[in-house]
Parts: sequence; structure tokens; C-alpha cells
Amino acid sequence: MSQDESGRSAAKTALAASLNRRSLLKGASLAAGSMALGGGLLASTSSGARAADRTEITFASAKFYAKKTIAQIVDAFNESQSKIHVKYIELPPPSSSTEVHQALVQQLARRNGAPDVFTQDVVWIAEFAGAGWALPLDEYFPAAARAEYFPGLIDACTYQGKLTALPWIVDGGMLFYRKDLLEAAGAKVPETWADMAMIAAELQKGGKVDFGYLWQGKQAEVLVCDAVEVIASNNGSILSSDGKTASVGSDQAVEAMQFLYDTINKTKISPADVLSWDEEPSRLPFTAGKAAFLRNWSYVYGIAQDPSASSVVDKVGVAPLPHFAGGKSAACLGGYQYGVNASTKNREAAVEFLTWMSSPATQLRFAVDLGLAPTRPAVFNEAELAKEQPFMQTLQGVFTGATPRPVTPKYAQVSLALQSGFSRGLVSGDIKKELTATASKIDAILGT
Amino acid sequence: MSLQQTASAIAGPRKGAGNPFRWQFVTPWLLLLPAFLSLASVSVYPILKGLWLSFTNTSLVTQEHDFIGFGNYRLLWVDDLFWNAWWHTITFTAVSTLAETLLGLAIALLLFEHFAFRGVVRAAMLVPWAMPTVVTSKMFGWLFDGQHGLINYLLKSAGIIKDNVNWLGSVDNALWTIIFADVWKTTPFMALLLLAGLHTIPKSLIEAARMDGARSLATFWYVRLPMLLPTLLIAGLFRALDAFRVFDLVYVLTGGGPADSTETLSTLNYKTLFSTLQFGYGSAISTAMFMTEALIALGFCIFLYERLRRQK
Repeated sequence: MSQDESGRSAAKTALAASLNRRSLLKGASLAAGSMALGGGLLASTSSGARAADRTEITFASAKFYAKKTIAQIVDAFNESQSKIHVKYIELPPPSSSTEVHQALVQQLARRNGAPDVFTQDVVWIAEFAGAGWALPLDEYFPAAARAEYFPGLIDACTYQGKLTALPWIVDGGMLFYRKDLLEAAGAKVPETWADMAMIAAELQKGGKVDFGYLWQGKQAEVLVCDAVEVIASNNGSILSSDGKTASVGSDQAVEAMQFLYDTINKTKISPADVLSWDEEPSRLPFTAGKAAFLRNWSYVYGIAQDPSASSVVDKVGVAPLPHFAGGKSAACLGGYQYGVNASTKNREAAVEFLTWMSSPATQLRFAVDLGLAPTRPAVFNEAELAKEQPFMQTLQGVFTGATPRPVTPKYAQVSLALQSGFSRGLVSGDIKKELTATASKIDAILGT
Repeated sequence: MSLQQTASAIAGPRKGAGNPFRWQFVTPWLLLLPAFLSLASVSVYPILKGLWLSFTNTSLVTQEHDFIGFGNYRLLWVDDLFWNAWWHTITFTAVSTLAETLLGLAIALLLFEHFAFRGVVRAAMLVPWAMPTVVTSKMFGWLFDGQHGLINYLLKSAGIIKDNVNWLGSVDNALWTIIFADVWKTTPFMALLLLAGLHTIPKSLIEAARMDGARSLATFWYVRLPMLLPTLLIAGLFRALDAFRVFDLVYVLTGGGPADSTETLSTLNYKTLFSTLQFGYGSAISTAMFMTEALIALGFCIFLYERLRRQK
């Protein structure tokens, strides 16, 4: 945490310094202009003309920052060509997801073309597409261009057969494990849930750790993520493939949720407290060395390697989450995507900016300078990434199995119903009954 | 009309002014106008707009905005989640208000007595109440954490419990943990109100009671309590209406879970309005909250009115 913060403050100072330099330069040029009046006038008219020549578009995005800011990347675009000028509008950070969502909805609902380009959480794509706010991008990004991204991401960006968003950055659920403990026990990194539960139970019984496996069961969005992962890894799904009916009552889904219930009540590899834990409470025991396995997002790795916050430095490994026999590992897809406002008046400029922003070169900049994982597998093989962000490079395998949450314009409502249903099932243990009831609730939401 | 005219109207009829009586009638209303306009714009309009929205299916997501009559209320009537949240809110309001009033009364009686450092103690008592609720919530989140919380550690060290209690992750405990946190936070507020009430009781009455041979308990029961009752009722009313809107504690501590066992009307309403952007249905929940609060206030007022009438 402290490393992260010091990184941020360093970034802020750097930015402030560059701003100061810029205003200094501006001041100097102004002074020069006033000394030579004629020259000054000329200069101002020529720069005015240049600005007018450029197509002005706006870009609204949630705030991400590390060594650099999004504004600096946008500046780089403005300097790279002379036709388009992008104005960046900063929205709150993704931790204030509800506020970012509101800000975007209020803007887009006006249909006045502002902002031209925006970034969106992966779960809003269908909503924005369904409302007709997002421009379909198929003609600009044909199948060959789409094949350059992780397939799960393109699925998430596709609504009713149309590509309405373009992948920007990705995160996903992953399995953190204790390398030292597995080695000492002579165990391999588990690939199935059953193996994981067995190793976890043994380590717990042997007194090596207090908890075998930690996950997030708080009645919140993160519970939907944890559930999507187990269900998809058992070949199940929340909604049918057309997105019109619920399939969360299926046997695969029930079996998968039963596994989570059993971690608390049968195999007892997880404490009952996971039912009130979201990311941070579940992360703490793990980085304190009290747990063998943890399901969480990529941010945990940085903390685990920070000696001031972690007692397991260099003892933590990361792997794709396990799966059920006959299933495939699934990582709940997080991250942000680009979208183009359907009522933009500068479509060509918007698409050109989008193409630049999503290009391998820019993605590499986002990865190295902002620590945001690329959505193109090819970027993971870049030598610069291997040098600057070696951990990120190892995540390629995790994101290959990225699985979207249910794709529906009414996602927010569906998610609330799921949170309630999953939580009830995990508390009562009557998974079948609760998931069936949730399925009919979701059917009612989708039917109206 | 000009200022001068108003001024002259207040000053009284002037020679040559058309009809002096008409200005006398209009002026008070004109003077009330600014107050009325500001109240109407910040209070009446939002309430009426909310009421109107509750009869529509307005949703930013589906972009619908049609009048649907009582459709939302019909849905609300059969919505398990709503009634679930309604009962939790009522339970929370009743239990926390009662506990805070009784504890607050006890603290007020203590702080009313003279003792060394009374001023310091009175000020220190207000600290929990002065803290932002979100901070309190986070604090209680860590205190009551089932695995690394201080409460479990202390209870275990004292030998009161053998295994860790799952305070926030169990359906049986979560709501009570939240009530406990609220009582901790708001009791000082009640104590302060009641302390002010105690100061209004004339000393002579208590002296008279003592002279008649009444002991402390009798003095409390027959003199102080009856005199304090109106304050108690008004403080209780304030507290109940405030407790009814509980949001931050629930939102931070449990998010409404586990299994909806701590969902309250405010958190449900927040989710409906701001997360799913269903303004129509969300407004119906708001209206239902408004009506329930009005009923609670009415109950208190009837009781208070009866009481004051009997005293006369």
C-alpha cells in the first residue's frame, strides 16, 4: 500500500513539475510576444488558426494513475498528429463506480454528442448499447482486428451481435497461492477445485495455516464475480446464451455454488467470515501468512511483495483459478473498455483516436506507465513489459480464461437479484431452492 | 411593486393613496413570499416531483418515462425485498431508539450531578456522536471482524466465548451488531438532549420533594420523570425519525447482507435509485418510507398531545 502511495505522490510531483514548466514556458512566450508586438500578434493568430483547423473531440474516462496519468497519454496523442485535438474530462476513480456510471448516463442520455469517446466498466456495455448510446464499431474493427484481443473481452464488448465497445484494460479473478507451502507439501499448483480443497484442508490440518482458502462472500458485486467464476468453470452460466432467460438455476450452477457453501460448512477450508468479507478483509490474512490460497484481483500481488505490508514476500504465486472436472478455468472479467458516443458529430476523429488509444504501442504505455494490463495478448510478449512489469506478464494465462458477467442492459438489477440469491443460498445451504427462486426473479426482470 | 410602496404600506395609509385597506391585506403575504418560494423550491417541489415519479416507470436505463398509475405500488406490495427491508428498518428504529433513550437517560442523570471534572466528562461523552458515521462504521467493521477483530479477542481472553463469533457474517448477529454500533454512536446525543431537559426542571420542586421526605428514587419517579416526559418524547421522536433513515452503518458494514438480513429501506432505495437508475420504482419506495415516517411521527405527536393536555 505504502509503495503504491509513494508512487502516486511521486507521480503527482512529477506532474506538478511538468505543469510548472509548461506555464513557465507559456509565460516566457507571452513576454517575448509583448516585447515584439507585431511578432506577438502573429504568433497568437497562427496558433489560433491551428486550433481551429483541428477537430475538437472530448474523451471522458474514470481516473487511473500511477507514474503517469491518462491526461499525459492523451497529450501524447494530441502531439502525435495535427488533425485532431482531444479534450480529456476526468471522472472519479473506478472505486466510485456508481458515480462514474451516473456521470456517463446523464451525459449520454442527452444525446448531444458529448463526450465523443468514453471509457466504461465492462458491466455497463450492454446497458449503453441497449439504450442506443454506443456506436457499433464493427465496420472499423473487422473480424481480423478483433482477433487480436482476448476472446472473452470481445465477447463482453459484443451486444446482440454488434461490437459496441473496444477493450482497453483488463483485470480478472485469479488464484494466489503460497509457493513455499506447496513445495514443502510436495503438491503441484491445483488445477481442479477438488485438488485445491484437498491441499488446503491438509495444510490447515497440519497447522501450517489458519485458513485453507479465502474468497469474497459479502453481499456485494464481488460475490457475483466469485460466483460467475465457479459456475463458468463447471460449464454453467448465469443467463442463457441469448441473454433473455436465466440459467442460474441449472444443475451446473447449483453444484458450483454448493462447492463454495462446502468450503465453509463441509471441507471447512474457509471461515464463515468470508460471508461478510469483500476484497481487503480477505486479502489481509493471506498477506499476513495465515492462508494457503486466496481468490482475488491482480492488485494483491503488489501488496504481497511489499515488505512493509506483507509477511509472505517472494512466497506468493499466481495461477488461473481452478475448475471442476470437465470444465475450464474462468476468471471473472473486470476492467474498462472504450466506447464511442452514438450521437458524436465527429465520428471519424473519434474512431481515429480510439484506434490510436487501443493500438499495441499505446497499450504498452498504459501497461508500463500506469500499470494497467493490456487487452491484446501480443503486448504481453513485449520485452519492455517483461522488464518493467514482470508480474503482469505472467497474467496472460489468467486473462485468456476471462469470462464476462451476464450481458444484459438490465445488469444492475440482475446483479442485485444475484447478490441476494447467492448470499441466501450460501447462508441457508438450500442452494437449489434459492437459485431457482433467483432465476425466476431474473426472468421477471428481463421479461419487462 | 417598489420598495417605497411596501414601506409606506407598512407605515400605514398615506394621503392620496388609492385604497389603503387593500395594501394592508396584501403586504403580509408579500413579506411571506420569499420564505414561501424558498421552501417551495427546496421542499415542496422535490416531494411532489418524487410523488409524481412514483406513478411513472421512469428509468434512465430503459429510457422509459410513462405514467403507469399505481403500478409501482402494486409491485411494491408483493415485493419480498421491500417488506424484508421494512421490517428490518422498523426493528432497527424501535430497538435502537429505546436503548438509546434508556441509556441516554441514565447518562444524563449521572452527568446532572456535581462531581470533579464534570465539564470534561460532558465534553468527552460527545466524541462518538461527533465522529462521521462512515468512520464509525469502518471502525466497527474492524472491531467486530470475526477473525481479527478486537471484540472477539477480548471476549476470548476473558473466557466468555470459546470460538470466534461471526458478528457481521451471520444472519443471526449482523443486524444486532449494527444496532450496537448505532447505540454506541447516538446515545450521547440523547443524553445531551435529556440533560438539557433536566436543567429546565425547577430546583424548588426537587427541594420540596426532599423536604417531604422523598428519597432519590421517589424524587426521580414522581417529580423528574413526569417533568421530563415531554423532552423524552420529543428526543425520542427526533431519534426515531433519524434512525429510520439508517444508511451509512449498513452500507459500510454489510452492504445489506448476508442473505438480505440487514437490508434497510435506505440501502434498498439507494440501490434501486442510484445503482439500477429505476427512478420510478425508487420513488415509490421513497414515498412508502415517507408515509411510514409520517405514521411514526403521528404516533409520537398524539402521545405528546395527550400528555400535555392531561397536564393542563
